[in-house]
Amino acid sequence: MKFHEMLQRRLLFAAAACFCTLVALPTVFAQEKGADDKKEDEKKDADKKDGDAKKKEEDKWFAVTHADLYTGTGARFRDATVLAKNGKIEKIGVEVDLPEGTTVLDAGGLVVYPGLVAYSSNGLFGAASSDFADSVNTFSPNLVMALGNGITTTGQSGAALKLKRGEIDGVLMKDKATTLLNFSAQNPQGRRSLLDKFAATSQYLRDYRAWEEKKKNDKDLKEPAKKDSDATILQILKGEILARFQSDDRDELLGIARLAQKYGFRPVIEGCREGWTIAEELGRAGAYAVVTPRDRVDKSEELVAAGGTSIENAAILRAHGVQIAIVPSGKSVDLGGIAGRDILALTVEAGFGVRGGLTNDAALEAITIVPARLLGVDHRVGSLEVGKDCDLIVCDGDIMHYETFVQQAVVDGKVVYEKNKELFYAHIRPRNDSALAPETRVDKGQEQPEKTAAAAESKDDAKKDEKKSDKPDKKEEKKD
Amino acid sequence: MRAAWWAVLALASCRATASEGSHVPAASTTPTELVVRALASGEDGLIVRCGKLVTCDALDTIFTPGVIVVRNGKIEGVAERCNVPDGFAIYDFPDATVAPGLVDLHTHIHSGSFGDINDMVLPVNPEYRSSPTIVPGNRLIRRGLAGGVTTLFGIPGSGTSMAGFGVLYKSKLGSSYDDSVLADPGGLKVAEDSNPQRDAGDFGAGRGALSWLIQQVNDRAKGAIREGRYDPALENLKKVHTKELPILIHTAGSDGIVNTARMWRVNNDTRSTLSHGCFDAWKTSSAVIALGMTVNNGPRTIEWFSSREGRVVGICAEYLKNGAKNLSMNTDSPVVAEEELALQSAMSSRYGADDLTMLRALTIHPAIAFGIDGRVGSLESGKDADVVVWNGWPLDPRSRVELAVIDGSVEYDRARDGQIF
Amino acid sequence: MKLRNLLTSCAALVVASIASAGDLVAIKAGHVETVSHGCIQHAVILVEDGKIVTIGRDLPIERGIPVIDAPDLWVVPGFVDPYSRVGLEARGGSDFNPQIHAEIELFPRNTDYAETLKAGVTTLGLYPPGGGGMPGQACVVRPKGDTAKDMLIKSGAYVLFVFRADARSKKMLKDAFEKATEYTDKEKKAREKFEKDASKKKDDKKEEKKDEKKEEKKEGEKEASPSALQDGAQDDAAAQDKKDEKTEKTDAAKGYVAPEADEKVKPFLDLRAGKLRILVTIFGAGDWLHFAQALGDEKVGVDLRVPLTRDTDMFEVAKAIGEKKLRVLMEPEITTTPGTLRQRNLPAEFVAAGAKLVLLPRGDSPFAFKTWPRAVGEIISAGLDRNVALRAMTLEPAEMLGVADRVGSIDKGKDANLLFFSGDPFEPTSKLKAVMLEGRIVHGEVQQ
Repeated sequence: MKFHEMLQRRLLFAAAACFCTLVALPTVFAQEKGADDKKEDEKKDADKKDGDAKKKEEDKWFAVTHADLYTGTGARFRDATVLAKNGKIEKIGVEVDLPEGTTVLDAGGLVVYPGLVAYSSNGLFGAASSDFADSVNTFSPNLVMALGNGITTTGQSGAALKLKRGEIDGVLMKDKATTLLNFSAQNPQGRRSLLDKFAATSQYLRDYRAWEEKKKNDKDLKEPAKKDSDATILQILKGEILARFQSDDRDELLGIARLAQKYGFRPVIEGCREGWTIAEELGRAGAYAVVTPRDRVDKSEELVAAGGTSIENAAILRAHGVQIAIVPSGKSVDLGGIAGRDILALTVEAGFGVRGGLTNDAALEAITIVPARLLGVDHRVGSLEVGKDCDLIVCDGDIMHYETFVQQAVVDGKVVYEKNKELFYAHIRPRNDSALAPETRVDKGQEQPEKTAAAAESKDDAKKDEKKSDKPDKKEEKKD
Repeated sequence: MRAAWWAVLALASCRATASEGSHVPAASTTPTELVVRALASGEDGLIVRCGKLVTCDALDTIFTPGVIVVRNGKIEGVAERCNVPDGFAIYDFPDATVAPGLVDLHTHIHSGSFGDINDMVLPVNPEYRSSPTIVPGNRLIRRGLAGGVTTLFGIPGSGTSMAGFGVLYKSKLGSSYDDSVLADPGGLKVAEDSNPQRDAGDFGAGRGALSWLIQQVNDRAKGAIREGRYDPALENLKKVHTKELPILIHTAGSDGIVNTARMWRVNNDTRSTLSHGCFDAWKTSSAVIALGMTVNNGPRTIEWFSSREGRVVGICAEYLKNGAKNLSMNTDSPVVAEEELALQSAMSSRYGADDLTMLRALTIHPAIAFGIDGRVGSLESGKDADVVVWNGWPLDPRSRVELAVIDGSVEYDRARDGQIF
Repeated sequence: MKLRNLLTSCAALVVASIASAGDLVAIKAGHVETVSHGCIQHAVILVEDGKIVTIGRDLPIERGIPVIDAPDLWVVPGFVDPYSRVGLEARGGSDFNPQIHAEIELFPRNTDYAETLKAGVTTLGLYPPGGGGMPGQACVVRPKGDTAKDMLIKSGAYVLFVFRADARSKKMLKDAFEKATEYTDKEKKAREKFEKDASKKKDDKKEEKKDEKKEEKKEGEKEASPSALQDGAQDDAAAQDKKDEKTEKTDAAKGYVAPEADEKVKPFLDLRAGKLRILVTIFGAGDWLHFAQALGDEKVGVDLRVPLTRDTDMFEVAKAIGEKKLRVLMEPEITTTPGTLRQRNLPAEFVAAGAKLVLLPRGDSPFAFKTWPRAVGEIISAGLDRNVALRAMTLEPAEMLGVADRVGSIDKGKDANLLFFSGDPFEPTSKLKAVMLEGRIVHGEVQQ
């Protein structure tokens, strides 16, 4: 583009922007207005519509620069930029030109990850527990705390919700991604009826497909009857919705694996504690498992085969092709004092997965892209890719390390959380740019943005050389 | 060069006596290479070689790489490397970190079940002992071992004010009671504030009367000492007042811990450690620390409500800031699972405490607080060979225990036993 | 001593009898806060038949006119509490009843009204009962009178909506406006049909009545989208009896009878026509987002009530609400950021953000009314502008209730509702010496 053209465009842009702010000022809510005002209003309304149209043309650009970027797709860039247009990722790269007016968040070499995805949580959106579109409270302190621990998307009651702070449009990403089926061994009748439904629905689907084929030659052929087929199960068999089970028991898990293999669908199994004992079967069934590595249940005395929980559950299942999502045992924010066990401890729980043999990357997948997939929103969140939502977190180290804090959280290309500016964690190891930080201290985090296990150890060595007085002097007061 | 070396040594020993609990910049005062003589007949021993060896000694010596030599259940020495004489079992973990076995001063898992830790007969039970309820090597202890815990103080619950005497024991599997016990009685358990207030009969349902009851029995014990009188119910309590036995006191809240310090440091000069110290107790911690009270924090590691400032406060960070010496962590297992003791320290680090200090809070600090630092808590020559091999930094939840040795015997070997935790 | 008491009470009686006689009375006061146009020292207020005739500084007073001489007193307009249920007893549910009017449950003999007057509250907005949903419409009363009619100043001041962020509340609002639209469409069709029929019949006379018909058309449309001029006219006619209005319309349309709107739909036609306002109770910032979304582009007069009797996160949306220049009703309370002890002066924050402020008493009882100025004084000392605060107890609620032509400030033509304080009303040491309601001293005494 030639320079004068560019200039012209910019001028137009600026003019449009001015116009928009001017016409956006009148309120939507009518006040008591005199007769003259009303006429004026009508005119303004006409103008406003015009203005809105122009406003839409104006794109909102946002970029994170100087990022040590972990995309979640296997790629890792140093000094990278993520550029987003209207909340969607437009470009990811090392040298990216930023359009005029781009809002820039300089990561300063810190590590940038996709926002974490909690497969399920409670209470992040106030009292909302159903009808989310009409009841979420996006000012809830729990939501801010979850953002402060990296969570930008969560499942609740089967719905996928985005942690859009202070907004309600776009919070509900997907209403029902999964349907819960009961295959409990405690309920043989329910189990029987479920099997019957699967059989009937599967038969119907076969008949229907055969009919579709034959119809090409014989147009008068009658459509097969639905008989005992079940609408939900039909959706499952067609792959339109995921079937979800809550099961820990080895025998039940085997049953689910065989059911899935017989009818060709991929079950989501929540709990799956004894899954490690039959991992091969579950892998063959293409199962997904939602596990809590720290679960502790002893093996049943009656069981001769292997059983009970194992810290290696996630790793063993994954090694057999089962996709793993990890959730902590606590699903809500717990400030009672026992730390590291509630929904805010997603990375800690995933860390126990690593203890059991998962790789660091696999554990990260278990709290990003896999739960996104199970919630049916993996085309939008769970990794940083062009076209996906710009939901990311800036961290002062390896997100899987227990000392790492989220410094900023971005949702839909908007900074919605800054550690320095919130009450919760600002006083803990404040960084240079923090309002609480002492003026003359160079934070170690800047020298060592990456804190892998090995780096963490070398850091410990470094710490010994450092005098105690070097510890950040926390100022007590924070202005409101 | 040599002179400088001695200077460092002198400084280091000076620091070690002056202010135990703080650590000074790393300086190896131990030879980097050990010369080990072969095992004599009747002797047994093992050598663990590793990428890094964290001793938790007074100087916080870390060897990279590291080696630890164990003979007849005791540590013979630690160094960067050593010769390999005949007879020793060799364990090679070139990438692993070796640390002392962890010590937990507040646990209730000794019986293997949770039902028999509160025997609420009287509000004050100086004659009670938890030793008869101990089931050595039970499944809860075994999981604790797989989490690196080798020494535990098994104590009665906090349902009564003076709950009785607990046992210091090791998490040896398949051993008898006598083999696993380190000290019986290991110390007294007292409960002040909250728990004992709820269910102790008509008299003593509140803090005032409970304090009166405790002081009554303390005065009786002190009287017996003065008069040289034998009293079967007070024999152990007498040892508390002669400072032979330590006390662990369940207490919490800012006024609670001050009340506790007054009782056990001012009114009765004892070797006492306050346990829990959570909720808003951090606010009065400087007063309590000034009275020489050591702190054993847990199971709560953070606090949010009391400050009403909206901050998530790391309790240990506050205690350390106020000068706490020999600060230790507990699980109060089964409140927090025994195997998650290391996570308790990790969370304290997350919320502002120094990372290496928080490892010491699981090793040498509790050992000093309970006077068993001559035997456990650090990897130093002459101490019990309680050694844990981790495949990463011990506090990191991602690190697992590869090998746990107690008194020179391999009690848990992941390769041999499968991964228990 | 006794004699002196007797004398002073006699003096009060004299003033009262003069005023009630419908004659003139002049008030000389040291310090008058008009609210509408600042403060006047050494002011003279002339009152005739309960209305203020004139007000000014050091005006000459004709000989023979009785004078209330209060050189040391502060005179302010009578307080207006727009959100009260004092003296009312019925309890409501959480249903959709926008057609219910609060005045149907007025009990004029309730002694609370006398106490209310004694506290200086001369105008009350009484709302219908209900803990949720839309319980109905509020009325404006003077807290004095033997019958409900005596008390009533205005019916249908606002429709109350206790909003909660849930699907039910949002649907309630959306459905109500949808039904209003349905009615408007129906009415439009009926009228078109009528006109079509009429034009066939009266084809010949069409030319003559062209102008007249234009008028009719507008008249018919007014509920959907009133033209500016008509709206002004309607405001005057708003208080008129509905029956009259209907006949008038019928006459004007020469035979056309608009279909009767459902009684639950009518208030929403009135809202759209600007004849009625809606007072929405919300409890937190999240509620605001959901209410704004449910309301959509609907152009109606909205006021917000935000209870500050518990901590709220409303500060999160103060800017958004301030930008819309909405009116907020709050108690004069210092709240804290939820979960913390960080104090907030939300009334001041909302004013700073551009919102209009109405301050309510801390409680809904004569006792709370008595401590109202003192409570407001507390948040003034915490940073709220004093003049804004006084306006928030007088003219602002009067405007909200649509009775600012009668009460809320000390202006020519308005009711002589005056409070006589011994000093600044917001000072805790000041005493309310006397209350004048529509020219009568109804409580206390002043020197004549």
